[in-house]
Amino acid sequence: MLAYLIRRLVYGVGVVFGVLFFLFVLFFTVTSPDDVARKALGERVPPAVIEQWKVNHGYDLPLFPGPGAWQENMLFEHYRRMLTFDFGRSDADDTPIIERIRSGMVPSLTLTLPLFALSLLTAIPLALLVAFFRETYIDRLGVVISVLAMSVSILLYIIGAQYLVGRLLHWFPISGFDSDPQLIVRFLALPLLVGVLAGIGGDVRFYRTVFLEESNTDYVRTARAKGCGEGRIMARHVFRNSLIPLLTRVILAIPFLFMGSLLLESFFGIPGLGAITVDAIQGNDFSVLRTMVYIGSLLFVFGQILTDLSYGLVDPRVRLE
Amino acid sequence: MGNGHRRRSWPALLFMAALFMAALCGCTNNPYSEADDQRKILYKSYREAPRTLDPAVAYTTGAHAITGEVYETLLEYHYLKRPYVLIPGLAAALPEAREVDADWTLYRFELRKGLLYQDDPCFALDGVSRETREVVTGDIAFQLMRLADPGVNSPVAEPFGNIRGFSEFAERLSEARDADAEFGALPIREQYAAVGPMQGVRVQGRYGLEVEVSNTYPQILYWFAMPFTAPVPWEAVAYYDGEGGRPRFADHPVGTGPYRVTEYEKHSRIILEANPNWYGVLHPEWRAPGAIYPESGAPGDLEAGRLDEAVVGRALPFIERIEFRREKESIPYFNKFLQGYYDAAGIIKESFDKVIHEGGLSEDMRATGISLEKSVEPSVFYVGFNMDDEVVGAAGGESTRKLRQAMSLVIDTDEYSRLFSNGRGVPAQSPLPPGLFGYDPDYRNPFRQVDLELARELVAEAGYPGGIDPATGTPLRLTFDTSDTSAQGRLRFEFFTRAWRQLGIDVVIEATNYNQFQEKVRNGAYQIFMWGWFADYPDPENFLFLLWSEMARSKSGGPNTANFSNPRYDELYLSVKARPNDSIRLAEIEEMRGILEYERPWIELTHSEAYSLFHGWLAYVKPFGMSFPMTKYRDLDVELRARRRAEWNRPILWPLYVILALGVVVVVPGILTFMRERQ
Repeated sequence: MLAYLIRRLVYGVGVVFGVLFFLFVLFFTVTSPDDVARKALGERVPPAVIEQWKVNHGYDLPLFPGPGAWQENMLFEHYRRMLTFDFGRSDADDTPIIERIRSGMVPSLTLTLPLFALSLLTAIPLALLVAFFRETYIDRLGVVISVLAMSVSILLYIIGAQYLVGRLLHWFPISGFDSDPQLIVRFLALPLLVGVLAGIGGDVRFYRTVFLEESNTDYVRTARAKGCGEGRIMARHVFRNSLIPLLTRVILAIPFLFMGSLLLESFFGIPGLGAITVDAIQGNDFSVLRTMVYIGSLLFVFGQILTDLSYGLVDPRVRLE
Repeated sequence: MGNGHRRRSWPALLFMAALFMAALCGCTNNPYSEADDQRKILYKSYREAPRTLDPAVAYTTGAHAITGEVYETLLEYHYLKRPYVLIPGLAAALPEAREVDADWTLYRFELRKGLLYQDDPCFALDGVSRETREVVTGDIAFQLMRLADPGVNSPVAEPFGNIRGFSEFAERLSEARDADAEFGALPIREQYAAVGPMQGVRVQGRYGLEVEVSNTYPQILYWFAMPFTAPVPWEAVAYYDGEGGRPRFADHPVGTGPYRVTEYEKHSRIILEANPNWYGVLHPEWRAPGAIYPESGAPGDLEAGRLDEAVVGRALPFIERIEFRREKESIPYFNKFLQGYYDAAGIIKESFDKVIHEGGLSEDMRATGISLEKSVEPSVFYVGFNMDDEVVGAAGGESTRKLRQAMSLVIDTDEYSRLFSNGRGVPAQSPLPPGLFGYDPDYRNPFRQVDLELARELVAEAGYPGGIDPATGTPLRLTFDTSDTSAQGRLRFEFFTRAWRQLGIDVVIEATNYNQFQEKVRNGAYQIFMWGWFADYPDPENFLFLLWSEMARSKSGGPNTANFSNPRYDELYLSVKARPNDSIRLAEIEEMRGILEYERPWIELTHSEAYSLFHGWLAYVKPFGMSFPMTKYRDLDVELRARRRAEWNRPILWPLYVILALGVVVVVPGILTFMRERQ
């Protein structure tokens, strides 16, 4: 187990180092620091101001190590900063990136945690329900609705819900965010509804397949033959034995809850990490973008390891060696 | 057992459904706290978070919407009068001007006594326990030095170069910093003190300020009505350095204005509250022109209710708080305006046809009490030619001039406006927009009237009969360079290329990213481009300088991207710049217009027109055109707003009942049948 964990960690470090190198090539060699400075400061800026800006942002060093100066270069600085979580300041407005991440994480989690929980709490019971009523019209209707729901773009859900639920029916605010606990429920209702609806089709289809596969196994038939009730079979046997594929999907998603939701946050005006990433893309804020991609890669590696470990926990037959 | 289980679960299900319904019954789409319903809070939106609120640097409309409320200047604009009129702001009176010699004019300002900054912890910096301090003219001198400081990187340093000693101060500062790295680490105020004051800026005691300005630039007074020249406390610049958990000065404005920033989450919301230290609040007895509602205005203001007896002469401001909410997407923003949750809005293109009918407000909109205000902005949009280019520029003499004239003749501005801005905008005949001295509404530029036949003749005379380049035997090929790579941008540029194709000319759109485009401009590697300009101040000089050779991009990196250079135009420009608005100035402007008409460095397109919508509860609204917020003059009828919001936003719940009923009708029989079969 420990050896496995160490091996996975070493692989993970390799992936992260690779991502960092890819980011370096993309953000420092394709676009020069002078161009980034001009983008941030404007075109008619004296060269001295550009130079000072580059010094302030650590862009004034040579790109690669030279003879006898392996530390005095941007490649080394890039790795050092990222690995020590010293992300520096935003290229666009000079604010410390770590502060932006801190301020964005709470709104992101405020959205993604309940969304994650609600999605699970609706999709799994619904999948159990359609699996329970397999080969009846409820099952068929459920599959048709799921396929339809999967086929619709999330953008259509967002715009449709904002118009229908917010604009016409006046149930919830069309968009916005507030940290006031009285208002936050109001603001989250619509993005949560959209998030659940947009994901439910795929989730129900997936979980239903898993449950059906499990419900055709020998031990389920045996349980049924022994007179065990259908509800008890689904809840106690089928569900518990379907946990491995469920965990793959669920645990891998957990780390990304911190990253927020790009589209939901952007369209509903939630100032989370997803919205920060979209802003960085739109505003050519390369330092923020680099950081977000790096954090995304860290979370991905972490999620992978967590998923592997969870297999061992839920299924005693799995040995991590 | 099975039946018993069912009996227990149905009431639970019904209970949950009832709970959900109850939650929905209490639902509301109000994005604000109900406790604020009766407060005079103005709700506004913004799209992009301001990069900086440093008044020396902030130069966007979005940033000015904040800095214009927080920072005040020696002079300001009259709210109602048009053409624009300057009135004293922080100054006790308009400055006296005295000619010092043939080159310099002295402006003497007298600051009001007893002005205070907003309360802020920075004022305890020099060891004195206090939350504010009096404004002195030294603060304005300090800000002028900041404008000159290359490290501050003010985008408006160039016009302030007309102040005597401004450039020299900047040079001394740079030299001192280059010579000694430790000097650059000193506090800014000490650095400025060490290199000495600007020769042309003299602080006279606590309240007097003399500024010596080049005789050729009387427009400097307009700059003293913009946040760039607002008094800035040195304590704020020193204290808010971004270290030790303190924000940067760029994110923490400290001013004297009618409002102060109390919450600055720039990526989501910005809140301004009325400043209790504002001179209009502390000293209503002064009856200062910038602190009371004006008693006179422009024609039409009385009829529009902007000079009501109830408001004239009342102490400002009326609104206690301004809340800016970020709206990145236009449709939710506009829908919230229609629900009454924003007090004013522009018109988004997706809803234009629904809102505007035959140039006016549609019947539906009028019925809700919304009003429409149109205003032509002091701006110009144009297609320009790079006059340094061999094929389209000045080097070709008569031949390339005719080519430019021909290309100008086929661009139909009315059609362009109809297609790309819903018909908004006044077709431009020259760089000067309506409302400015020198604008002639009857003037028709002969090369801005569509005439395909004449254009074809001119192209032939230019040496390209039928648009064919004799050197290659193929259509003349030109490039239209842009950094706009969007689909909408492409359509826009294709409008021009299609028009020029009628002349047989093949213009290729070279859409690159911003950096590549700027690189091309820096290197002069472009032929045709599209640009726009919004005035800093309402004077023709602020448009005519866009074609002054000293401002040529190739020469000085200035905004004359066409690199237009004409000695007579330059001579006239320098005269126009220095003259008051008289008949000679008018004649000179007309001559300059004639030069541009003939030489065609630009194809003038439109002067943009803003359509603004206001709810009936927002009173005393007059669009200002330039980016000055003017919120202190506006008022809100909060009773009416609360009533309208309640009427317009009652939750409609019947679809929920239908959905639930459908669910029951579809699912329950299935469950019952299934259970029966199982039993």
